[in-house]
Amino acid sequence: HRRLPAVIPTPPVSASPFPNPKSQYCCLSRNFSAALTPLLPVQLPSRMETHLWYVVPDEVKSAPLLSKYMELLPQSERDHVLGFRGDQLQKSALLARTLVRTTIARYQVDGHLDPRSLRFKRNIHGKPEVEWETKDGFCPPPLQFNISHTSSLVACGVTMNSLIGIDVEEKRRRTKNNILAFAKRYFTAHEVEHLNAIPDSELQQQEFIKLWTLKEAYVKALGKGFSSSPFNTFTIRVNTAAQESFCLPLNQASSGIAVETLDSPQNLTNNWQFALLELMGSHYVAICLERQETGGAGKAFPIKLTARKTIPSVEDELVSGTNAVVTIGGSVTQF
Amino acid sequence: MAAASASSFTSLKSRPAPGLATIAAVKSGAPLSFSFRRPVPAVSRLRISCAAKPETVEKVAKIVKKQLALPAETPVTGDSKFAALGADSLDTVEIVMGLEEEFHISVEEDSAQSIATVQDAADLIEELVQKK
Repeated sequence: HRRLPAVIPTPPVSASPFPNPKSQYCCLSRNFSAALTPLLPVQLPSRMETHLWYVVPDEVKSAPLLSKYMELLPQSERDHVLGFRGDQLQKSALLARTLVRTTIARYQVDGHLDPRSLRFKRNIHGKPEVEWETKDGFCPPPLQFNISHTSSLVACGVTMNSLIGIDVEEKRRRTKNNILAFAKRYFTAHEVEHLNAIPDSELQQQEFIKLWTLKEAYVKALGKGFSSSPFNTFTIRVNTAAQESFCLPLNQASSGIAVETLDSPQNLTNNWQFALLELMGSHYVAICLERQETGGAGKAFPIKLTARKTIPSVEDELVSGTNAVVTIGGSVTQF
Repeated sequence: MAAASASSFTSLKSRPAPGLATIAAVKSGAPLSFSFRRPVPAVSRLRISCAAKPETVEKVAKIVKKQLALPAETPVTGDSKFAALGADSLDTVEIVMGLEEEFHISVEEDSAQSIATVQDAADLIEELVQKK
């Protein structure tokens, strides 16, 4: 197993840049490099909001920083990270655990800000969840999260209450197998037709990736494991007319996305809403959310999305509403 | 699914419940120990399996290396975990598809989900080939 280089302790900062150093630094270890800033706390998303956080592994180059991140993890997670073969895989695995811990820590549930103190467990179906401390009088928030990563992007979605699944993929990801052969084997007939109707092979490849991420996001949101929802038992329908828009101008709701399960084909499963984003021009991010409220006649309110790019404890950047995050499917307002 | 075995590689394997293979755990960013599976009492999933022939393991390793674009000299053995080699959920499905084509078998989604290592794949292949 390759070990990441040990951090070289740096002398403590003598003058704190923050007005109230005690509250900001109370959870930091003495060895934190002077270059690290404490995690900026963030308000929990409201019931209607979705927060998307992401890290670009290529932008995280500092070995001491990666060592710091390792220190945030319990031994079991460190072992898991080191079990991956090669630096790149270890790095994205490390960043995935770091992102989920630091992101949840920012919400300062019950006043805590220490990513190291978070515990995770699985629900009855195996989906990862936070295991909150059961102190007297403490009612854990219904915080939901889901993570996804490729070697070039690590992302975490957070909501309050609404089940969430997210999946990320490089736009240019190519399947080794022929797309239609693959789709015939694993997708539904409608989806095969949808792909087959696209004459341009490049566009067809991209549409395949979009479908794949949407299907993954749906199953992850369901939280019951992939075997309970094999990919050929549900169809993702993409409507080019903005059928699901709700009082939005057309340019904000490019297409409606819905899921239809094969055992009830006439009923579009209205419990779930989708967003498909193009991130940094290079990745697709599919988000699937449990619908909380409908806006009458079964229409959904758009997904209210806040997207932030982060290098945990180094910098955060609000990117929603910029061209780093383009809505290409579903009904989304970004702010 | 139990098979008596004279092979020196007989192993008593405790199989996880059908559910997401650890490969997709990579995709979700969760550690292997948090892989997305339904927990099931170990007793009901115990399985005595005869380890697959080395040639089968070799063929599987070759298909895996091809899918993941690993250099030919990358050490891939029966113990190698797909996820640790860098396979995400799409890779896994593609690998299974490649195995289906190579061995002329059909792998049910449930069985595909329980493949975590090269050995798992090879063992499953030999079971399915035997059943034909």
